[in-house]
Amino acid sequence: MTIADDISVSRADRPERRVSTLPAKTILLGLLTSIIVVFCVLPFLLVLAISFGRKVDGAAWVWDFTFDNYQRFFVGVLWPDEVTFLYLQQLGFSFYFAVIASLLAVLTALPFTLQLTRLKRTSQAMWLVFIMASLSLSEVFIVMGWDILLSNNSGLPKLFKETGLTQWLKDVGWFQHLRDWGLANPRNVKFKTSDFATILTMSYLVWPYAVILLYPALSRLDPSLSEAARTMGASRWTVTRTVTLPSIRLPLFGTTLLLFVFLLGTYVSITVFAAPNKHTTAVAIYSNIRGANLNAPFGATQAIMLLISASACLYLGHVFNRRSEVR
Amino acid sequence: MRIFGAFYMGLSALLLALPIVVVCAAALNSGRSMFFPPQDPTLARFGEFFVSEPVWTNALWNSIIVAVGAATLAVLMAWPIAYLLWSTGSKLSKTLAGLGSLPFAVPPIVFGVGLGFFWAFTGGLGALWAGVISHAILLMALPLVTISIGLQSIDRSHLDAAATMGATEQVAFKTVVLPQTVPYTISGFFFVLVLSFNEFIVIFFVSASSYATVTLQIFNSLRNGYTPTMAVAAITFLAVSVLVFSAIARWGDLPRLMGADQSRK
Amino acid sequence: MGGLVLKGISKSFGNTRAVEPTDLTFAKGELTALLGPSGCGKTTLLRMIAGLEEPTRGVILLGDTDITRLTAHKRKFGMVFQSFALFPHYSVRENVAYSLIIDGVPKAQAYEKANELLETVQLVGFGDRRIGELSGGQRQRVAIARALAQEPEVFLLDEPMSALDAKLREEMQVELRLLQQRLGITTIVVTHDQREAMTMADQIVVMSNGRVEQIAKPQDVYHKPANAFVADFIGKANFFDGVYRDGAIQVGDCRLKAKAGFQSGSLVRVAIRPERTCIDDDPGENRIPARVMFVRDLGPLREYHLQSEIGPIIVEYAAGETGPSLVKGDTTTVRLPPDALQVFPGARAA
Repeated sequence: MTIADDISVSRADRPERRVSTLPAKTILLGLLTSIIVVFCVLPFLLVLAISFGRKVDGAAWVWDFTFDNYQRFFVGVLWPDEVTFLYLQQLGFSFYFAVIASLLAVLTALPFTLQLTRLKRTSQAMWLVFIMASLSLSEVFIVMGWDILLSNNSGLPKLFKETGLTQWLKDVGWFQHLRDWGLANPRNVKFKTSDFATILTMSYLVWPYAVILLYPALSRLDPSLSEAARTMGASRWTVTRTVTLPSIRLPLFGTTLLLFVFLLGTYVSITVFAAPNKHTTAVAIYSNIRGANLNAPFGATQAIMLLISASACLYLGHVFNRRSEVR
Repeated sequence: MRIFGAFYMGLSALLLALPIVVVCAAALNSGRSMFFPPQDPTLARFGEFFVSEPVWTNALWNSIIVAVGAATLAVLMAWPIAYLLWSTGSKLSKTLAGLGSLPFAVPPIVFGVGLGFFWAFTGGLGALWAGVISHAILLMALPLVTISIGLQSIDRSHLDAAATMGATEQVAFKTVVLPQTVPYTISGFFFVLVLSFNEFIVIFFVSASSYATVTLQIFNSLRNGYTPTMAVAAITFLAVSVLVFSAIARWGDLPRLMGADQSRK
Repeated sequence: MGGLVLKGISKSFGNTRAVEPTDLTFAKGELTALLGPSGCGKTTLLRMIAGLEEPTRGVILLGDTDITRLTAHKRKFGMVFQSFALFPHYSVRENVAYSLIIDGVPKAQAYEKANELLETVQLVGFGDRRIGELSGGQRQRVAIARALAQEPEVFLLDEPMSALDAKLREEMQVELRLLQQRLGITTIVVTHDQREAMTMADQIVVMSNGRVEQIAKPQDVYHKPANAFVADFIGKANFFDGVYRDGAIQVGDCRLKAKAGFQSGSLVRVAIRPERTCIDDDPGENRIPARVMFVRDLGPLREYHLQSEIGPIIVEYAAGETGPSLVKGDTTTVRLPPDALQVFPGARAA
């Protein structure tokens, strides 16, 4: 590109532009603001409004202002005669899977990212390409890959059986433990459906995100800090414990929180790998809005509750960050 | 320690690659069902995916239309907001940028539900153009970030220099701001392209089963069992991602976009 | 057109005054240096002249034309920035031709002019290079050529040498001064380096805390500083605080004869340059006993750091000058010739 190319356009339209600068700017600003409000804010408001609506017979719903959906979410539809915590329990499973998977991802991504930042710039770029490619890979493909790997008549269970590993596990008596954990049927190991497979897949799903989110903080770590500690006689492990980890405490916490919020809404992994009695709020939202139940207002209520939980966690994390920064 | 570090990186890479490798290998199966390792390897499935099976070729076209449209739209919306944020830093621009990033920050299923309702009311539910807009809004946060990084990397004295040489604001914009932010704009475009290609939940809610993108088609087929053709889709998508990010790494500055420290090489 | 005149120019950022109301005249074809420590407002003043900052109050005249409200791109004063601000996405030639091309000059003509300018700054054959391929000195030459391409009425330079190493800096100062004299262009240089200012300037404006302390020719700034700040900032000086009484200054128990017209009893500050201070047997006035604390020989100079009853005194002798040969610990007598003493209003009295 040369300067003559850049400028040839601008010279032609300079005079009339100068005249219309101010109104054009105002129009653009107004247009932008309305686009943002309509598309980024309105959908959330709609969900909120519909969560107060009422279902009518035959899959339809009408506008209303009732708290019945929220009551149902917390204590069940027959309250006070009968109390059920089914929906809170679903939210609980959302939290359960998301917490464990995000922690697992961050803890395993941390040493990897530390190593990554110590590489040369060009090798870093190559690794980042690999990480970004796997990050952007659709959840459906990832689930498909793990499904092939973990399903009963292909992949790992088959490998276990054919290599005699299953037999060996039975011989040493560990097979019974696997059965207790729900990772085996009487004949062979099985991973579908299990918490193990669910958490593995979810954690795999966000692992590249963990690397990408930790990368800036870790690449800004001043190597002279740990070098200074080394010259004062600290061992490598002591350096990690006393210098590196404390200085990345906040990004570590922040990353876990972001991944956790992201995982709260996981849908595909849960439907494929989690046992039906452990299905989460996200699955319930789907079945209410698009699936079998068709109760849009209640689906909206569950979406709002999920959103509130996520925002509350983010807010608490923010407060916690503030406090530890002050300290 | 060094050896252990390298070993750990290798192990991570292996685990990361494992399901991808399995899917890719499965694409070579000749039969209707998935086997690993593949039986009777053939490339016939590629033909089905790209040429002969209308279910897949339609889905691929839809994916491409949505991704390219969404990426273009997202960049067009993100540019003025990022520019406003950078040049004025006003409260309005901060609010716009914050709200614009909101859909990307919340669990996607919530935004998907919201857009589902929104399009139902505005008549866009199940229309491809609504899918394009939905993805553009969802992923606008990405070009917003990359363009902002690009704008921040412009030395303000360059703008002063242009002014002392007679450049009006418009001329300075064309000769200083625009050329220096092109790589960041392109990066933002491709980030949206790739993520839109692979996005599932939001398009799932706004498509209302009246059209299918590749990810939707795969999800629909999950219940009927896998076919090797699905694996071809996976390979295609992976190849696109690798190509795009390699290009960004080659012509842009991927470590910088990812937030690496500039002072160290 | 005539020179550049500032009348009552001031600049405030919020509640802080960056530049106090200032009157300055820049004669046509002359080089003026705005000299002062960092944060003294000299760069803000330069940016107001360029049109990059709007003055809070005051008027800027170019000849008879009021240009106060004229934007930077209409003034078109060529400016060289501290970081040079060369556009990395254009070649050297395109950088130099920038102002011409955006003004609508045909490409061929603009490039020809750019080549001429590159020849002027001794960069023949560099036109197609990228900015990233140039050394610091070459970048500066490009920045100068680029600012001159538009044949500006006024040529502005903001700390132009600070990115160069010491040796190159001295060469460039001489070169820039010769170029400026050849072109006869009104030039304003902002610098914190007094050697740079004295090498290049016809007129030096010393500033501190947003205020002009002195406007004078380079030699006068050194030999006839207007106040204690200038005496301290330009070159080295020994300072003593005292009280003026009957043609002499009482510093502690010591009386120093000096030529000054102050009211009896006023607080004053006395300055003397190290090279005007003597260690000799001359039976003159103002002789003070002192002890040698430290000696350093810098090659062209030899310095004695003395401790006396009125405070520390530094005495400087040039190589070849006949001076005493003392070592650390010797006692001697230092002489402060009355005509070398500069007396300013005391810090507390001001």
